[in-house]
Amino acid sequence: MLYESELYHKKMKSFIKYTLVGLMCATSSVYAQMPHDAIYMPKQTYCIAASYSNSSWKEYWENTLKRDNLNMGKVTTQSAMLMVAAGITDKLNVIVGLPYISTKTSAGNLMGQKGVQDASAWLKYKLVEKSGLSLHGVVGASIPVGNYVPDFLPMSIGLQAKTATGRILINYLHKSGMYVTGHGSYILRSNIKVDRDAYQADNRVYNTNVVGVPNATDAAARLGYMKDGSRIQAEIFVERFTCVGGDNIRRNDMPFPTNNMQMTNAGFYAKFQPKNIGFNVRVSKTLAGLNVGQSLSYSVGFLYQLNYFKKEEKK
Amino acid sequence: MKNINIKSILIFTGLAILGTSCDKNITEPLKEAYIPTKLDEKAGTWKTYILANSAEVAVAAPKAATDAAYLKELDSLKNKILPVLTPTNKDAIVYWGAGAVYRWNEIARELAARYNLAPAYNVEQGKYPVPDAANPLEEPKFPFANPPYTARALAYLSVAQYDALVSAWNYKFKYNRKAPSKNDASISALLPVSDLPSYPSEDAVVAGASYTILVAMFPGEVPYLDSKLAEAKNVRVWAGTNVPSDISAGDALGKVVGAKIMAKAKVDGMSAANNQTLVAGQIEAAKGRGVKETWLSQESPIRPPMLPNYGAVTTWNFDKATMAKIRPVLPYIVGSAEWQKEFEELEKINKSQTREQARIANYWADGAGSYTPPGHWSREAANLCYENKFSEVAMARALALVNTALMDAGIACWDTKYYYYTPRPQQFGLKTSVGLPNFPSYTSGHSTFSAAAATVLGSIFPAKAAEMNEKAKEASNSRIYGLIHFRVDCEMGLVHGAKIGEYAIARGKADGSGY
Repeated sequence: MLYESELYHKKMKSFIKYTLVGLMCATSSVYAQMPHDAIYMPKQTYCIAASYSNSSWKEYWENTLKRDNLNMGKVTTQSAMLMVAAGITDKLNVIVGLPYISTKTSAGNLMGQKGVQDASAWLKYKLVEKSGLSLHGVVGASIPVGNYVPDFLPMSIGLQAKTATGRILINYLHKSGMYVTGHGSYILRSNIKVDRDAYQADNRVYNTNVVGVPNATDAAARLGYMKDGSRIQAEIFVERFTCVGGDNIRRNDMPFPTNNMQMTNAGFYAKFQPKNIGFNVRVSKTLAGLNVGQSLSYSVGFLYQLNYFKKEEKK
Repeated sequence: MKNINIKSILIFTGLAILGTSCDKNITEPLKEAYIPTKLDEKAGTWKTYILANSAEVAVAAPKAATDAAYLKELDSLKNKILPVLTPTNKDAIVYWGAGAVYRWNEIARELAARYNLAPAYNVEQGKYPVPDAANPLEEPKFPFANPPYTARALAYLSVAQYDALVSAWNYKFKYNRKAPSKNDASISALLPVSDLPSYPSEDAVVAGASYTILVAMFPGEVPYLDSKLAEAKNVRVWAGTNVPSDISAGDALGKVVGAKIMAKAKVDGMSAANNQTLVAGQIEAAKGRGVKETWLSQESPIRPPMLPNYGAVTTWNFDKATMAKIRPVLPYIVGSAEWQKEFEELEKINKSQTREQARIANYWADGAGSYTPPGHWSREAANLCYENKFSEVAMARALALVNTALMDAGIACWDTKYYYYTPRPQQFGLKTSVGLPNFPSYTSGHSTFSAAAATVLGSIFPAKAAEMNEKAKEASNSRIYGLIHFRVDCEMGLVHGAKIGEYAIARGKADGSGY
């Protein structure tokens, strides 16, 4: 970050022309549109990102049993996401996003679902920075916007849970441009309401329409390289998502929002943003999981950075 | 300064979020104990289903209220049991306070939900294995508690509870032993005590009868049912509402009645309900009746149809000749103008299902992993009885009428399905938002079950008749909204179900209860 800040001060005048600040404009999978890097938008600039993601799986873990299902074939989730990130100060960024999601299968007769999913907002703050090492606090929240069906899994586009996330992120940026980032988060997830007034979970029947969605944790480690601020950036990463409790999919049953979903993903991310216009790509694969599909996901994003907040800076 | 403020705001927000103890508890409606509005003193004379009468199973006279053995039981209740109740004991008292019939039916629904999963395809065997009653916990687990299976389990459960309670009522008023707190005013019971004689205990009668049916229907659940039985029996002593001799007499009576009912169940034809060798003949017969395009399993690999011979199982409230007489006719076939119109209705939903249609489809889906439509209506019935503060015997009667009507509906509907063997909408390229049942389309099981139950409930609770009818219609429409039935399947199913319900009502009117 030191590198980036220095650059920011040096090239203040050419700031409009050159976007030096990397932004987490990457959209990841449906459940993880999360700010997870140590890059900040400078004060009074903002970025709009539009991205397309595609995630699909043929095999899934029914509890621990890895299986396919000829009555679904390949299950594909596509999403189009609009994100806006803004630098409130050089150390405090806000990021908001809203995805439109659709699902489909390649076989069988389950009806695909589509609609606007959950709006999310994040605040990322640089707590400490010294000799390339920095510590960041991130808080986020999401709230369902669309009135989609949450318990028609795996076709549902989301779980309808409100979430609140607290995250600690640590980053080391070497002068060479190499960096490592790690984070850990705790995600609170609210109970949800379903259309039915009784359901089975934890091997019993609940006579209510309120369903408990387990809380979750996530963690990630990234190793990458960035150049010219973060105009050019590439990284490899490993991510782990784990529910705190929850039940397992029963033999030959469908998934349910109470399930203890877990997954380990590994992937690659790159960004190229020579000027105010740029793009990014992300590819990831689920290596291991519980009660989830083994996804291969990719996304491409279009980034557009502006600093129209203060007109006088244009001079 | 500015930075510090922002920092503190952020830290505060972060801590607030992390510290938020958002309530994750799932609360279910509380079911408080009540004193029934009626004692139903004459219930010992009500017509039983399978027992010849309420005296078929003998119950010995209890010890007199002045007998030393009985006084010792009272003393033990007062001085040894009530003073040392644990919080767990008290929770159990509150739980069972909702009523024995109420809770045992709930337990049956829970077991149905637990076992309502279609067997997975076995690649090595190259087939869908059939659940084996001798190895109930091996995959695929026995039973596959699909709607016909669950309807049958609930019907026998309710009949056993009812016949056992009618017997119990006979002996209660014959022997007239008062409740402990009425014999000894210093005993303060933890549950409401009516003037109902306490020997044999109605709760233990229901427990013994229910246990006997449920271990036969769900043989993999013996340890679970053992614990429920022990708790149900203990609770009445912990609550100070019965002495152990009330309980043991009730439990014994319930078990004997339960065994007699189960003996009847064993020969009702269910063991041949999955006779797949009949299917080829059924298809040929359906073609002979003018059905040009017959049903095909849409599962991959193709799954044999569910219980093709369930229609041959013994009915409760009408005979097989009547069943054939009231079987719906098939008004039109695939490709006709009427069929085309109904298909277009489905195509429109397939293209743009509304959220409200999805809600209705989901609410009534009662698919895999649920207690099935018979469970849904049985729950509705139990809740209505509870709200109306029915006695145990009156609740068992209402549930027996509803649950036998549900089983009759299942049998008559399955008979119709395999008589015509018509295709589902998915055979013509439509999707579903609720999951596709693996058996022929005409008529709709949901519609038949729902109309049968709603008709019976409307008769028992006239003030609720219109509401029940509306619910049945919504349940019926839910299958159109979920895209797995043509409108004709649903509408003819409703008419059929209502007729089936009338036979249960006729039985109820003639049972001597005066209800």
